[in-house]
Amino acid sequence: MKKSKLFILLILFPFHIFANDIEINVIIENCKSCHGQNYEGNNYIKSLKPLEKEEFISKMIKYVNSNNDHVMSRISKVLNKKDILKMADEIYEKIE
Amino acid sequence: MKKLNNYRRNFLKNSSYFISSLLFSSIFKINTSYSKSKLKPRIIIVGFGIGGATCISYLLKFSKNFDIIVIEKNERIQTCPMSNLVIADIIPYSYISHDFDYMRLKNIKFLNSSVKTIYTSKKIIETEDSSKIDYDYLILSPGINFKNDIDGYNHKDRTIIPHCWNGTKDLFKFKKRLNDLEKKSTIIISAPDYPYRCPPAPYERASLLANFLKRKKKKFKILILDSKDSFTKKEIFLNEWRNYHKESIEWIPKSKGGKVTYFNKKENYVKTSNGSKFKADFINIIPNQKAADILTRSKLNGNKDWCDVNPMTFELKNFRNIFVVGDSIDAGDMPKSAFSANSQAKILATNLVNRIYEKDILSPVFLNTCYSFSSSKRAFSITSWYKLNKKKTRIVSLGSSTTKVDALSHQYYDETRQAYGWYENLVKTLYG
Repeated sequence: MKKSKLFILLILFPFHIFANDIEINVIIENCKSCHGQNYEGNNYIKSLKPLEKEEFISKMIKYVNSNNDHVMSRISKVLNKKDILKMADEIYEKIE
Repeated sequence: MKKLNNYRRNFLKNSSYFISSLLFSSIFKINTSYSKSKLKPRIIIVGFGIGGATCISYLLKFSKNFDIIVIEKNERIQTCPMSNLVIADIIPYSYISHDFDYMRLKNIKFLNSSVKTIYTSKKIIETEDSSKIDYDYLILSPGINFKNDIDGYNHKDRTIIPHCWNGTKDLFKFKKRLNDLEKKSTIIISAPDYPYRCPPAPYERASLLANFLKRKKKKFKILILDSKDSFTKKEIFLNEWRNYHKESIEWIPKSKGGKVTYFNKKENYVKTSNGSKFKADFINIIPNQKAADILTRSKLNGNKDWCDVNPMTFELKNFRNIFVVGDSIDAGDMPKSAFSANSQAKILATNLVNRIYEKDILSPVFLNTCYSFSSSKRAFSITSWYKLNKKKTRIVSLGSSTTKVDALSHQYYDETRQAYGWYENLVKTLYG
């Protein structure tokens, strides 16, 4: 398969792992390892608290689509839009 | 079994249970009546390192419902993550040394002791002082043990340079020996074979020792004698060494005679598998590794180097209600890292609660992100998600990705900030 065709396929059907079989809550628990138990961040990692839910979604989608080398871009590559929306619902429902 | 079922029924009937306090509240949909019954299942957690402390942080919400006992031999926790930075004088020792926040752990019994034996058939553990404590569920997060498979080397020998691979104060001894080096010296780091704790750490150590000695204006040569032919983040490390430590760090893989087979402490040299002899002023042997001693003593690892667990629950395959987490298990594709132990322990604790409350077991997903420093201003990472194979018997990687070798300086600097950010949130969550 030509590289260009593969690229189009990847855009149309982005690789993701979590859609049906994994609870989104389990993914979120892993996010807390860096972002803190209540997403409060610290001197080095920004807090998610000041972000509006829509901003969070937009940032996450940017990470997924970005080709830059940021660790968040690499970690989020496995998520699709549906996963991100579910994550946003969960996080912003519980954020204190 | 009948007794156990009655016990569980009574516990479930009587337990205090508030849905809002549950870990993953959407998963729990039951309501049970509140009662002041003292009948509680007892969970013993051995080891308050990353794996054990993560389990505790998740079980804390249930500390009124369970009788939780923690057994930890140390009075403070010294983490292995970031310890190479302490060795290189980039951060102070206090950064990696943590007190226990007893206020936060107020509903938990804390024993400063170690476990001598586990009597699995009686569900009893015996501590160092010969106290015997029974358990319903036992979580073991005991770290690792070391092999003495290099002729002439004994990891318990207090007269040699310590390996500094187990979070002890030997680190000070290591630093002193490093500081005592003359103006011009040769250093050997012997890197172990897989699997071992923190795969990139021997190479991070070489980078940071070079960085430290350069700052001290000392001349040196570091030889990494490797029991492997490749290692994680290899291209990035090699690039860092080319750019910043040209000719002062040399990596010798196994295929070129890198595997150390003999150590002569009197004359300070090692021999490798092809008969080559390397003499040095500072020899840091990082030994091959295996599951912690308590697991072997209690015959829980079936004569294997690592414990076989069910990756859904982390329960030992042949021992019901005994769970092992962290570096002592065979975790499939997951490396032995603090991030991995943290990720595994979250699933262990959650699914243990699910089991006790007779709820469905969650299908796990794990994350590992492992940062390495090459200097105070440069770090890089490898990251991967993991899930279970179709048979749910093994943890498999979904593919890893690393920092690009040609990343810009500010990106390498940004990764140092991510690393500190991860570490500080981790220890804040676990140790307060």
